[in-house]
Amino acid sequence: MYRGREGQWAFYLHRISGIGILVFLILHVLNIASAMWGPEVSNAFMKFYHQPVFQLGLLVLIAGVLYHGFNGLRIILMDFTAWGVRYQRQLWYAVWVLFVVFYLPFLLKIGGGILGGSHGD
Amino acid sequence: MAIKSKRYQEARLEASTNLELYWWVFMRISGLVLVFLLIGHMWMNAVLVDLNSIDYEYVAKRLSQTTWKVYDWLILALALLHGGNGLRYVLDDWVRDPAKRFWTKVVVYGLLAFLFFLGSLSLFNHDFGVN
Repeated sequence: MYRGREGQWAFYLHRISGIGILVFLILHVLNIASAMWGPEVSNAFMKFYHQPVFQLGLLVLIAGVLYHGFNGLRIILMDFTAWGVRYQRQLWYAVWVLFVVFYLPFLLKIGGGILGGSHGD
Repeated sequence: MAIKSKRYQEARLEASTNLELYWWVFMRISGLVLVFLLIGHMWMNAVLVDLNSIDYEYVAKRLSQTTWKVYDWLILALALLHGGNGLRYVLDDWVRDPAKRFWTKVVVYGLLAFLFFLGSLSLFNHDFGVN
């Protein structure tokens, strides 16, 4: 299952997205925690992160979270059902269907904001 | 299950096996919960509002409500444990040298503990002064 083709791609994407999410979590907690030092400090960070390049980063992050989450559900099905491993490839395609359905609203909203020149000023 | 081994080496093997099993179960349960918590979190803060309008006041308003304090703290705690253990799997795979692996883990776990402390302070200790 993990040798070549879909199963191996699913595994590598799961790892890479997982590491990426953890890196984001560090920046995210530091950003929110800066509120403890008052509005000026906090808003300076917020303004910095509202730059288009970070909005693009957020789109990548959200894609990572959705993939990692839905593929995680696939792993749970493979672990706890009798048929999960047999249909792991079909399940992986189902992961991508769910991914597209849930990702579209984020893509339209945030992508639209970037194209519309929105950066919080 | 209580450890039955009489020798330290055997006891350690037995204990680590059970601990690994608990972590394995934890990854599934926390993962399932996080899927729902995170989709809700992202939806509320990136689809329902323009994320560029988020500033100190927005955060202060949210984090002065108990519901979101608890919600966000659950994400923080589960994500750090899930991510920390996931990274442990990755380091065990990718860092072959035992000394390097040990020190990498010391640094990583230290950083994650610090983040947990900092995030918890923001949620439960800081008074945002909003009524």
